[in-house]
Amino acid sequence: MKKFRFYINLEKEEKWLNEMASQGWRLNRKHTKYEFSKTLPNNTIIKIDYRNFKTKDDFQNYIILFKDCGWEHIAGTKTSGKQYFKKIDKRAGDDIFSDVSSKAERYKKLSTMWLSLAACYIPICISLVTTKAISIDAVLNPKLLYYTPGLWQKTGTSFFMAFLFETPFAMMRGYIWLIFPCLIILYTIFAVKARILQSKE
Amino acid sequence: MKRNKNLPLTETVYYILLSLLEPAHGYLIMQKAEKLSDGKVRIAAGTLYGAIENLLKLKFIQPVESDDIRRKVYLITEEGKKVLLLDFERMKHIIDVTQNNLK
Repeated sequence: MKKFRFYINLEKEEKWLNEMASQGWRLNRKHTKYEFSKTLPNNTIIKIDYRNFKTKDDFQNYIILFKDCGWEHIAGTKTSGKQYFKKIDKRAGDDIFSDVSSKAERYKKLSTMWLSLAACYIPICISLVTTKAISIDAVLNPKLLYYTPGLWQKTGTSFFMAFLFETPFAMMRGYIWLIFPCLIILYTIFAVKARILQSKE
Repeated sequence: MKRNKNLPLTETVYYILLSLLEPAHGYLIMQKAEKLSDGKVRIAAGTLYGAIENLLKLKFIQPVESDDIRRKVYLITEEGKKVLLLDFERMKHIIDVTQNNLK
């Protein structure tokens, strides 16, 4: 079974995954979607760390350290950021963190990641404005976005048909660039949210 | 003299540095810290990994060659020893003044 969910709050994500496990859904992989397979319901503890690795050796060393401590790596790749662990040894504690600052550190990294993603779109926006790909005139006067000759002289049904037909194209022409500022704002909101969660730890 | 900016060390970091006076890999550090602290300090995996990364960055510890290809083995550096000793002196001073003032 595949499910799509989006979490900034890692505690909430952990809680959801633990609930899924108690219903017998075992997490196998996580890319854009969570991939579960059906097993017997069990009360495992799943915890999430946030970390990227430069080399394969570093990643392997990391996984083995957790395994030694009683935590099995169940999902996540070298550069996926989120790393999912399941408790497999009764002797392991109930958390992968033993102090507050290291737990909060996860959110700091998460926040930095969203901010750098947001920053990626800033040069795109600047170049769109400087190359005049974004026309300010068109924003102020949307009529300029319609290219059908004589459109505004038409009346009645023939005007509406032509107008409605061209509107989606006009929107694309005039406003598609809005996706970049929107993404910048969205990612910045995620970054701020992660920062707030960090300060709450 | 200006105080070293890494002081005071956290309990976790102090025990990690103390454990690494001899070469050890991650899990061994955890076991040593637990033993040295009479079972009071149990460093969890995520915290331990983060602390090791940080100490490597500060050059207080360094990776060393070993037979274990899958686990990295670390050892304290001269710089790390210096900081450990400074923190030891700091705590010793606290103990001394506390004893004198409680009399």
